Amino acid sequence: MNVTVFGTGYVGLVQGTILADVGHQVVCVDVDEAKVERLKQGDIPIYEPGLEPLVKENYAAGRLVFTTDAEAAVKHGEVQYIAVGTPPDEDGSADLKYVLAVAETIAQHMEGHRIVIDKSTVPVGTADKVRAKISEVLARRERDDLTFDVVSNPEFLKEGSAVADCQKPDRIIIGTESRDTEEVMRELYAPFNRNRDKILVMDVKSAELTKYAANCMLATKISFMNEIASLAERLGADIEMVRQGIGSDPRIGYHFIYPGIGYGGSCFPKDVQALIRAADTIDFDAKVLKAVEARNYAQKTTLFQKIHAHFDGDLAGKTVAIWGLAFKPNTDDMREAPSRVLMEALWDAGAKVQAFDPEAMEEAQRLYGDRDELTLSGTKEAALKGADVLAIVTEWQSFRAPDFDLIQRCLSEPTIFDGRNMFDPKRMARKGFTYYSVGRPS
Amino acid sequence: MRITIFGSGYVGLVTGACLADVGHEVLCVDVDQNKVDGLKQGIVPIHEPGLDTMIVNNMKAGRINFTTDAEEAVKFGQLQFIAVGTPPDEDGSADLKYVLAVARTIATHMQDYKVIIDKSTVPVGTADKVRAAVSETLAERGAELAFDVCSNPEFLKEGNAIEDFSKGARIIVGTDSERVKRAMRECYAPYSRQQDKLMFMDIRSAELTKYAANAMLATKISFINEISRLAEQMGADIENVRHGIGSDPRIGYQFIYPGCGYGGSCFPKDVQALARASHELGQTSELLEAVETVNYRQKGQLFNKLMKAFDGDLKGKTIAVWGLSFKPNTDDMREAPSRTLMESLWEAGAKVQAYDPKASDECRRIYGERDDLTYADHRDDALEGADALVICTEWKEFRTIDFEKLRNALASPVLVDGRNLFDLDAVKAAGLLYFAMGRGDSLNAEAA
Repeated sequence: MNVTVFGTGYVGLVQGTILADVGHQVVCVDVDEAKVERLKQGDIPIYEPGLEPLVKENYAAGRLVFTTDAEAAVKHGEVQYIAVGTPPDEDGSADLKYVLAVAETIAQHMEGHRIVIDKSTVPVGTADKVRAKISEVLARRERDDLTFDVVSNPEFLKEGSAVADCQKPDRIIIGTESRDTEEVMRELYAPFNRNRDKILVMDVKSAELTKYAANCMLATKISFMNEIASLAERLGADIEMVRQGIGSDPRIGYHFIYPGIGYGGSCFPKDVQALIRAADTIDFDAKVLKAVEARNYAQKTTLFQKIHAHFDGDLAGKTVAIWGLAFKPNTDDMREAPSRVLMEALWDAGAKVQAFDPEAMEEAQRLYGDRDELTLSGTKEAALKGADVLAIVTEWQSFRAPDFDLIQRCLSEPTIFDGRNMFDPKRMARKGFTYYSVGRPS
Repeated sequence: MRITIFGSGYVGLVTGACLADVGHEVLCVDVDQNKVDGLKQGIVPIHEPGLDTMIVNNMKAGRINFTTDAEEAVKFGQLQFIAVGTPPDEDGSADLKYVLAVARTIATHMQDYKVIIDKSTVPVGTADKVRAAVSETLAERGAELAFDVCSNPEFLKEGNAIEDFSKGARIIVGTDSERVKRAMRECYAPYSRQQDKLMFMDIRSAELTKYAANAMLATKISFINEISRLAEQMGADIENVRHGIGSDPRIGYQFIYPGCGYGGSCFPKDVQALARASHELGQTSELLEAVETVNYRQKGQLFNKLMKAFDGDLKGKTIAVWGLSFKPNTDDMREAPSRTLMESLWEAGAKVQAYDPKASDECRRIYGERDDLTYADHRDDALEGADALVICTEWKEFRTIDFEKLRNALASPVLVDGRNLFDLDAVKAAGLLYFAMGRGDSLNAEAA
């Protein structure tokens, strides 16, 4: 099938590549000339395990094409994915200008029936707006004879495992009321639907809401655990035992109930906020979601508070080693990352940071530039040299079994602040560490 | 093993019956002479499928007995379960007076080592209080006797309690003592044959686990109810959304049914108690408080939907209500959405014709005889002369109905479904207005 994908960001690039990989003819279009040139050279602007070889392979095979030529792109695909960004507005609601610009482009150039697929995470009602925009432009062109349909087909990719998520989805949600469109979408996704029928067809608005609801549910589980962890600390209980205790209940399960220092990234914070905003505009007070967000905000400050309390409020001149800057492992994404809240608070308090992250160093450099109070170290060991204490912010695999003797030798006081509960408190005490973690007796 | 159980309420009876059923010798003690006399004759004061048979059979076999004699009971078992009630205080925190009274009773009569087991849902720190109460009483007696206190929270669902006890996913025991671990292993060995279900942890974590589990489940419910309200406003169908998010294995299909709010003796009490405890520690628990507020708001939805259907005037209307208990397979009406609904209806000048397969007696006990409440013996009788039907509880017998017949029985074609039981198309085909939770005619017409 001929497929066009607008937007070569994270979602567009992964989806386009995976569709090409099963044999579809995919054209990815982006307005950014430099980006398109880089992609043609096999230079992938994002870090996503397994993506680069697939891009190169399918580009070489001619199934995956990159272009800035919107007209050709619109003519190419029977289906047209909109996978451009929806950055939050100042008030937290999703900004649709890029999405609607693509709709306009499609309407300008289309010459035959087109299925327009909203792949970006967009507010409920966006498909209606896209439809209206296309109709408007077609009317202006006096081409009311051209038919089209707008489908909501939200992505469920996790940064760090997006390729696998796209190749082996748990479910494929298709919001459409048209049988013909459903049939085309089934054909498009047939290569990913072999194991069992993973396709759920529903009305457009429900599909749009599903994406937000899923992310909000996951964010709720995290904030719930963080709230209980904070309670556990004060009650003298161990949240890790509580986690295992409640996880064994099949109605709860072990997924996504890890206490930590707050969720970050480009999805959860944005989606929770957007749904709160959407609720506000219809005068609905989304109490649970607001509480989820407030808890997350508070949770991101807890690591700093522990460090602050440990040093009796005097952090001036201290050096804190930080392991992990990305908001989660296997990505270089630092959007809304707890590391940022921690570093900024440390700087405000007059402390210095020596940071290491396996992937996010460039991103940190880009965000903060050169500054005296931030040293970006080449290895996790280098980050320890001359530091007073260590804070672990992201649970990268390579942090899970560190050389504790070395840590002890490097730090001026053997103290670890662990935002991800990676180690056993008793064992840490035996090793001679002062060990702070989340929701556990220290 | 010889096991004593204090409290012959819901938890105590199920625990006693199940432990007797696997061969332990159980003595249940209660202060209520009538209750004990009744139990001795096989009269089980609560409705729980399979429980009365199990009690009668084990009584015949001599493995379970009932008494009011606390002294005898304390002497009887090495294990002493405390399974008495912990009613919420006025401020929502759990009242421990019955639990501590049992602790002192045990300390008054014990002559040798006892393992005292907190089975009731008790706040974090209760085991410490029980220990202190026992020590104090022993000191008053001048007795130096060894004992241990452990936490062993129950995870029973009303209506499915026997199954939960025998085939539960886990058995949580909070203790630091090896002696207690051995005793509890022996007690629960019959249930741990397939895999080791015992999870040992420190006492406080065990105590918190019970609250956390119920609070998490309540959170899932309030979350989906909040989303269902949003779905209504936005014109989306929450049942589609539910399927959509449930297919994510990190979320799952369990406990994300939208509805008219949770009730019963556990969720409301436990969420409140945890929020309360949090407050006392100087911490706000915004999420728990939001969960509670949303649930409260949700219980008012059935009435709001009726008001919408009847243009804000329910005076003189007769509303058929199917389902009074807070969930199916129980007669428990504590904090049930049906109560919020009925009370609002009466206030608005409407009458209620109610039907519930089990809870009519409980309803009579709560509300007494009143003109604006009548009971039907059959679900269809409740429809006679009614203007609209509201379904509050998803009893199995409500799940298949003849919509044509329903349409003809009601003066107005209004079906309010607090449990989203039916297929939209089937209801609409019969010409009924279908106000479900986050779907059907509840959706904002403009948005849809």
